[in-house]
Amino acid sequence: MPEPLAAFVARRRADWEALSALLETLDSGRLSLPDVESLDRLYRRAAADLARAQLEYAGTDVHRALNQLCARAYARIYRSPRDRAAQLSRFYRRELPALVRAERRFVLASAALLWGGVAVGALAVAAQPAGGERLVPEAVRQSVDEGQMWTDVLSLSPPEAVASRIATNNLSVVVVTFAGGLLFGLGTVSVLAFNGVMLGAVAAYCARHGLLPRLLEFIGAHGPVELSVIVLAGAAGLMVADALVDPGERTRRARLQERGRRGAALVLGCAPFLALIGLVEAYVSPAAFLPGALKLGAGAALGAALWGYLLLGGRARAEAARAASGSPARARAAREDSTRS
Amino acid sequence: MDRLDIATPERVALDLPLAGIGTRALAYLVDALALFAAWVVAYFVLSLLVSDVLGFFQGFSGLVQALLVAGVFLTQWVYWTACEVAFGGKTLGKRALRIRVARADGSPPGLLESAVRNLCRAIDFLPALYFLGLMTALVSGRSQRLGDLLAGTVLVRDAPLALPRFEALAPAGSAPSGPPLSPAQVELVLSFLERAPGFDPEARRRLARKLLDRFGAHLPDAERARLAASPAATLDFLRRRAS
Repeated sequence: MPEPLAAFVARRRADWEALSALLETLDSGRLSLPDVESLDRLYRRAAADLARAQLEYAGTDVHRALNQLCARAYARIYRSPRDRAAQLSRFYRRELPALVRAERRFVLASAALLWGGVAVGALAVAAQPAGGERLVPEAVRQSVDEGQMWTDVLSLSPPEAVASRIATNNLSVVVVTFAGGLLFGLGTVSVLAFNGVMLGAVAAYCARHGLLPRLLEFIGAHGPVELSVIVLAGAAGLMVADALVDPGERTRRARLQERGRRGAALVLGCAPFLALIGLVEAYVSPAAFLPGALKLGAGAALGAALWGYLLLGGRARAEAARAASGSPARARAAREDSTRS
Repeated sequence: MDRLDIATPERVALDLPLAGIGTRALAYLVDALALFAAWVVAYFVLSLLVSDVLGFFQGFSGLVQALLVAGVFLTQWVYWTACEVAFGGKTLGKRALRIRVARADGSPPGLLESAVRNLCRAIDFLPALYFLGLMTALVSGRSQRLGDLLAGTVLVRDAPLALPRFEALAPAGSAPSGPPLSPAQVELVLSFLERAPGFDPEARRRLARKLLDRFGAHLPDAERARLAASPAATLDFLRRRAS
């Protein structure tokens, strides 16, 4: 015979109200140690009361109120571990390079789209000068026709302003490239191809007017890394699109979440590189006193460093782990480790 | 209403009520207004410091320009994620509307989830005013916009629910009469007693009479007629009956 509802509430109500009051305090500030201890105790008791209400008083307002009380307490008590520094270090030492290597199909496809665009743009301007030149923006055409680089404007404004503008502009491009995967890949593909065509057309147009060396000099320092990060963001967008178009044996929702997490890790992991290269673009690229060869060399070195890191980083450790997984004890330990994390 | 079922380490199943499109849109408006207000305040503070604001902006020093761009970047991208990570899934607007972002297991979002759902605002906003996000939320079943689908997050209601007021019943120990009522019947009587003072007297008498007939069926007819004669006695009987 269950306890009558009125008696149950009369007996337990004070605890529930105390718990609710503690949650309000927690939201507007910190709890003292005794308060934390009573929060723990009160939450466990409320959870036990909820279990009982589900059985004996299902569907009543008391059941609903208890459920909501426990849900609010649960969200404030259970949080993911705050070991951010260790997570971050592991991510950059091992996980990000491994991620790029594991998803190399998408990286290659993304690079093919961008460079295919470059080829199309360059060929269009070279083969059909009258029509192809329409691909080049008006302002760029005007200054190139006058034998001027439009990028000279950059060297007139203060570099710290240019740096912040470039950094946020590049980040926006990367965000749109990645999130455009949600439009079944249309957004990603169009950003990659459009930027490629633009770059190819501008380069061919400059070449016709004999300005190609100056263009290379300008984009040489930051171009390799910047284009690489855009290719990686494109790869992440294509991963999302692939999950949407072909979810395999799972539901679209489940596949999208799984692949979306990996794609987002790729994009967010590369964002700092993009911010750093924004500094190079603002300070080094427009600097007239630096010789062009130096800028080109620096750009090539930065690009090589990025790809060396992505292709080789953490590889020795991964192979060691693979070799060690042959022994059953280590494999079991690794499995337990992965279920715990 | 849609709900999210989760299992807690205490071995109790919780179900969280999901926030709908209307609540979410209101929370967004509150956030947008807050950010706008922050810009207005920043403008007025600046105009106190500098007498000629326009001239000051035209003569932009590099540092001010950089600060301006950083400010736009902060309000466009960083504000949302920073708030959600720091305050358990709540921006100012969500806090005002009493909703929060939650993972599929009901816990607050981490940095990755929050960053993903907020970066996707760029797509959800398309072609204007979150049209794509609204359409997705309408068909996704859990009111998730694209960013939520990608991050695996939902918005749940976080408001406290009021407990029914059991003080309206007689104190425990006063002898109840008749066979015990089910919890649902107790709450029926309770909600009547709670609201009875606000009812029109005639309506109150009629409802009380119905409840008396239903829950006093075990009484002899004469006793029931005696209780029905006085409204106070009827209420008192119901009060004792549900205790």
